[in-house]
Amino acid sequence: MKFTRRELAGAIAGSAVISLAGPPQVRAQSLAPAADYLAASRQSHRENSEVLRKFDLPMSTEPAFTFKA
Amino acid sequence: MTFGENSDVFFAGIADLNARLKKREFSTLELVKAFAERLEKLGPRYNALALPLTEVAVRRAKQVDDELKRERFRGPLQGIPFGAKDLLAFAGHPTTWGARPYAGQVLDETATVLQKLDKTGSVLIGKLSMVELAGGGGYRTAGASLFGPGLNPWDRSFWSGGSSSGAGSAVAAGLVVFALGSETSGSIITPSAYCGITGLRPTYGLVSRHGAMPLSWTMDKIGPMCHSAEDCGIVLQAIAGSDSDDPGSAGKSFYYTPQYSRQLSDLKVGFAPSDVGWAEAGARPAFEAAMQVVRQTGVQMVDVALPDLPYGPLADVIIGAEEASVFETLITSGKVDDLADPSQAAALRANLEIPATEYLKAMRIRSIVKQKFRELFADVDVLVAPSRYGVAPKITDPLDGPDFVPVPVPPSPGMRRLIQAGNLAGLPALSLPCGFAENLPLGLQLVGPAFSENTLLALGREFQNRTGWHKRRPPVAA
Repeated sequence: MKFTRRELAGAIAGSAVISLAGPPQVRAQSLAPAADYLAASRQSHRENSEVLRKFDLPMSTEPAFTFKA
Repeated sequence: MTFGENSDVFFAGIADLNARLKKREFSTLELVKAFAERLEKLGPRYNALALPLTEVAVRRAKQVDDELKRERFRGPLQGIPFGAKDLLAFAGHPTTWGARPYAGQVLDETATVLQKLDKTGSVLIGKLSMVELAGGGGYRTAGASLFGPGLNPWDRSFWSGGSSSGAGSAVAAGLVVFALGSETSGSIITPSAYCGITGLRPTYGLVSRHGAMPLSWTMDKIGPMCHSAEDCGIVLQAIAGSDSDDPGSAGKSFYYTPQYSRQLSDLKVGFAPSDVGWAEAGARPAFEAAMQVVRQTGVQMVDVALPDLPYGPLADVIIGAEEASVFETLITSGKVDDLADPSQAAALRANLEIPATEYLKAMRIRSIVKQKFRELFADVDVLVAPSRYGVAPKITDPLDGPDFVPVPVPPSPGMRRLIQAGNLAGLPALSLPCGFAENLPLGLQLVGPAFSENTLLALGREFQNRTGWHKRRPPVAA
């Protein structure tokens, strides 16, 4: 039987063969930083949003780019 | 003719080398071979070399020698070996953008700036390393590159700066006569300061970006990194100009005209008295002395403050939204995880979530930034400030730590956000070597209104006539 790579990945993820990827605690450790980085980036976005939200602009102020036809 | 490892040739200026070529003191082939061999031999010591192009360069050098024999002179860049940041396409050769997901990329066109330099008779001898995706997403380690951390020729345990890391190291170590770098928010100024070379960030739109990796369409600039202000002027004249292939092109040319530069005594130079106080303690004497030299050129020094605007969040949002759009396929395909720095991959992913309204708000505030700088430049001609407020960090140091805050805290913010502010406003900047701290170079930046490159170069040239910092050489050894 042939599997596509997507099917194989799905089969592995949904089976007990998960141990192939290493002990659960090791896997968790290796995934934690990426999740942390994503959370840190989102936090940074929230902080930037807050700063920009407080900045009052006249309605007439256009963005600093121009479309050239 | 052969050149010794410490030959002056490797640190000579463009006009000097070109004059010696014309006098047939040595041939273009000899010069190009000497630099190409040096780049191949020493480039890896600094993780500066992305791709040697020796064979192509040797062929081109022979053509240039034929032209010189026939006295077909093309100007000061004829026969001069140079390197280009690996975000510039060179047809038929790998262009990796410093990133593993693009390690096998071969493009079928050549960047406009490389075509322009080819017409001058200068010879591309290699592609130079860079921070992956020119730092897109923001990186937290010097090792965020397909080529490893850029190592500083003054001390290889320190970073060369980014994202034009290889360009900074290669010029400082005399592996190329000059290099092309790029800047979105600090990528020419920073490695120039950390490596002790002279770097010019041109006005947005003055130099074509066609054939360069896009990171942020409204912020990207290509510029020269050289030994001196004089050399930056020569290279800028060659690469500037209108290009219908670049939607951001300003449609302007640049002629380097030192003979017509304004009297320095007519110039008003704005500075923030609190700036030196923001520098690391070891760097303050050098910055104080450098400011004194600027004053001694005869310019009028004027106290100024940067307009109080949220430059950091603006740059984050604008670059973040634009780079997320540029690299959307890379991000959504999951290949972004092949980047060396996982925090960079995470940030790019998060940047896809920046709302359109927020990007537009940032671009609207950017209009205010432009307006405020127009008002500031009604009162002064040039701003001067440290390029970076200290020496290069160690390659093992995290780059995303909190800003250094001196004690006592200076009374005003000074020009610490000038890199971001200048890039948001599209302004030109020139970074000049201005001394040392802890045996590592420091840089001073000059920033002017749009298209004021000749004024910056005139002041930069006078600064370099009065100091010898740009002539210092790092301890290069095989």
